[in-house]
Amino acid sequence: MKPLLRVALAGNPNCGKTTIFNQLTGARQHVGNYPGVTVESKSGHCSLEDMEIELIDLPGIYSLSSSSPEEEIAFRVLTSRGIDLILNVIDSSVPQRNLYLTTQLAELGIPMLLVFNVADEAEKKGLQFDFPRLERYFGADIVQTVGSRGNGIARLKESVRNMLSRPDCRCAPKLEYGPDVDDAIREISGRIDALHSAAFSHIPSRFFAIKLLEHDTSVWKLPDFDSVHTEVENQIRHLYAKHAIQADTFMADCRYAMLAGACRDAITVTRERRQEISDKIDSVMTNKVIGLPLFFLIMYAVFTFTFTCADPMIGWIESGFGALGDAVGSVWPETELPFLRALLISGVIDGVGGVIVFLPNILFLFLAIAFLEDSGYMARAAFVMDGVMRKFGLHGKSFVPLVLGFGCTVPAIMATRSIESEKDRTTTIMVLPLISCSARLPIYALIIPAFFAVRYQAFVMWLIYAVGIVMALAAARVMKSTLFKGDGEVYLMELPPYRVPTLKSVFLHMWDRCVMYLHKAGTIILVTSVILFIANTWPEKTEFRSDSASRTAQMETVRSPAGATDATAPESPESLRLARAAEAMENTLSGRIGRFLEPVFKPLGFDWRVTTAAIGALAAKEVFVSQMGILYSVGEADEESAPLRQHLRENYTPLQAFCMMIFCLLSIPCLATLAIIKRELNSWKMACCEALGLFVLAYLVTFLVYQTGTLLQIGTRLLN
Amino acid sequence: MKKRKEKGGGSGELTLAELPIGAAATVVKVAPQLRGRKKFADVGIVPGSELMMEAHAPFGGLLRVKVMESSLSLHRDDAVNILLKGSAE
Repeated sequence: MKPLLRVALAGNPNCGKTTIFNQLTGARQHVGNYPGVTVESKSGHCSLEDMEIELIDLPGIYSLSSSSPEEEIAFRVLTSRGIDLILNVIDSSVPQRNLYLTTQLAELGIPMLLVFNVADEAEKKGLQFDFPRLERYFGADIVQTVGSRGNGIARLKESVRNMLSRPDCRCAPKLEYGPDVDDAIREISGRIDALHSAAFSHIPSRFFAIKLLEHDTSVWKLPDFDSVHTEVENQIRHLYAKHAIQADTFMADCRYAMLAGACRDAITVTRERRQEISDKIDSVMTNKVIGLPLFFLIMYAVFTFTFTCADPMIGWIESGFGALGDAVGSVWPETELPFLRALLISGVIDGVGGVIVFLPNILFLFLAIAFLEDSGYMARAAFVMDGVMRKFGLHGKSFVPLVLGFGCTVPAIMATRSIESEKDRTTTIMVLPLISCSARLPIYALIIPAFFAVRYQAFVMWLIYAVGIVMALAAARVMKSTLFKGDGEVYLMELPPYRVPTLKSVFLHMWDRCVMYLHKAGTIILVTSVILFIANTWPEKTEFRSDSASRTAQMETVRSPAGATDATAPESPESLRLARAAEAMENTLSGRIGRFLEPVFKPLGFDWRVTTAAIGALAAKEVFVSQMGILYSVGEADEESAPLRQHLRENYTPLQAFCMMIFCLLSIPCLATLAIIKRELNSWKMACCEALGLFVLAYLVTFLVYQTGTLLQIGTRLLN
Repeated sequence: MKKRKEKGGGSGELTLAELPIGAAATVVKVAPQLRGRKKFADVGIVPGSELMMEAHAPFGGLLRVKVMESSLSLHRDDAVNILLKGSAE
């Protein structure tokens, strides 16, 4: 078997690392998470003639310190054994900033190849590189590429192959940080060598000496180097006396000073800097006055795009699942294992189908987001929104997920990954379920026309959404001033130049999200559908209060000679069948649970039916409508159900109806949300606290609304 | 703390938060109380590097600054800890 060689891809954020990764690996990628953190791990395979290579795409970083989870991950991967080659991708249009990371990677003593990407822009800017000089400097070969167009990729592959086929060829980098610093480094690395530490023998002691000198926390906390700490402190004191610069920024200072010298020697600018197109676009996009309105306009365009494009596909999927159900029904005779048959058709196919129907929405939404992200606009959106969001204790980057939350909470929570600050991210995730997602829409669409006169309908709808938004923002405020107090991480974000996204990366991004969504449908939703189906049908009722079966038969015989059916007859066979279904429902598990919990929900104005529906809706909000339909036995219910509305009007007051909507709005949207919260925060505890917290909030608010309403006699009669 | 109205020039000291839009200046000192000092240093905000104020975000906080050919956004509260000297340009 061919040996598997491991190549790590490192570089700054926005240097075009992902396009290089996609060019090298094609679609053979594996996306996952690093254990314990939310940093996405990505690896892919690539074969070069006789070599089989695993390519590890490290997160984009500016430095190899530990000031962010991304940097810690990169540090952990690069200092582990078994990395055969580092591909350092550099945005060669801004070499100085990008080479900063290179100076740290070079100290690792791992064979390295420098990929001078975005070569076309560097050329446009008039940058000319003295490659032999730069190669000597960093002890690494250089290849020029234009990742977005695939230029130079063949040469890159060839160089990778060359480097890997002669692993012993290591030319030492010539990095000099100034005489005092070099002395200090030599002194400390001498001490480290004397330790003969086995764990890190594959990395030059010099690397660790430098990291210790700059008080790097991830090296500082390694017990292996405890015994040299005093010597390091001595050296730092010595350097501070001479240069008066704090230890933690001292090496950064030295590196930039060194790079300034290197760039002066090896890079010449033949043309004057011009006002770039990017800056021109930004003078409009991030304009103090029109930046915000433009952002709202773009968000609006994204939603229009999503819903317009998804609409026909949703129809196809719906009819597809309908046809599948019918096909199974016709192939599988009703007499053969009837329970399993019903479970498959009404439970699994309807349940999972009901969720997969939203796939086109997810698909187009993430297509649009991937486009905005890859083009560089998302960073601008965060920039213009930050001022507003900060007033609520949130972050500029929190806004996009909050807006996505109106569509579906699950992708919205996935979109919070762009928020680096853990506290801000957690807060955003925790408040997101309060934003009214589209799965709650059927509930409002059922209830509002039933209870409110046309002139109040829009207002009630607006009120419900407003309650959600106000609750979310207030909750964020409260959380940030209590649980997640503190400033979180420092806000420092690059606004990369605008770029035309490559089709490949946009589609790959979209594909990842869709796979995640399908995975959710195939696991959680599948299980929920089965459980709900069983709860709604078991235990089966065989004895009925009124002997409806015989009466049905009786009516059939009466009707047949008459030759016509009286549709308004109160005891038509249809209504009898339905009454029987309602009675059966009451006897089932969910009916019994509803009865049992009725006293708890009484103060909210809920009877056992609403209680059952609300409990079922904890699994998925759409369930509320179908469950009410089953309970009032009007057969297949959807939000357009006029008979169901009639039943509701007869049994509840507008106040109670409003309370149902408030409760559904504030409680957890669906089990999938719970699962995604667990995954993104990596804690079942947080997810359960969230579900419980939302339940308590929903209960309290609904309680207050109902009790106040009852006391003041608001909405206790039908308004007309 | 002095407020400066004129563009960049001169030799007086000012903080990054006070740098007017369109003006450039050189970093002389990064105050030790700056949170995440290392992060700022890693992206090139070290003594000697030239910064240019590009824009202010709507409603307050964020500044957009050009550092070594690329644009960074940072918060005004952090920017007051970055001391500049009007550049020679």
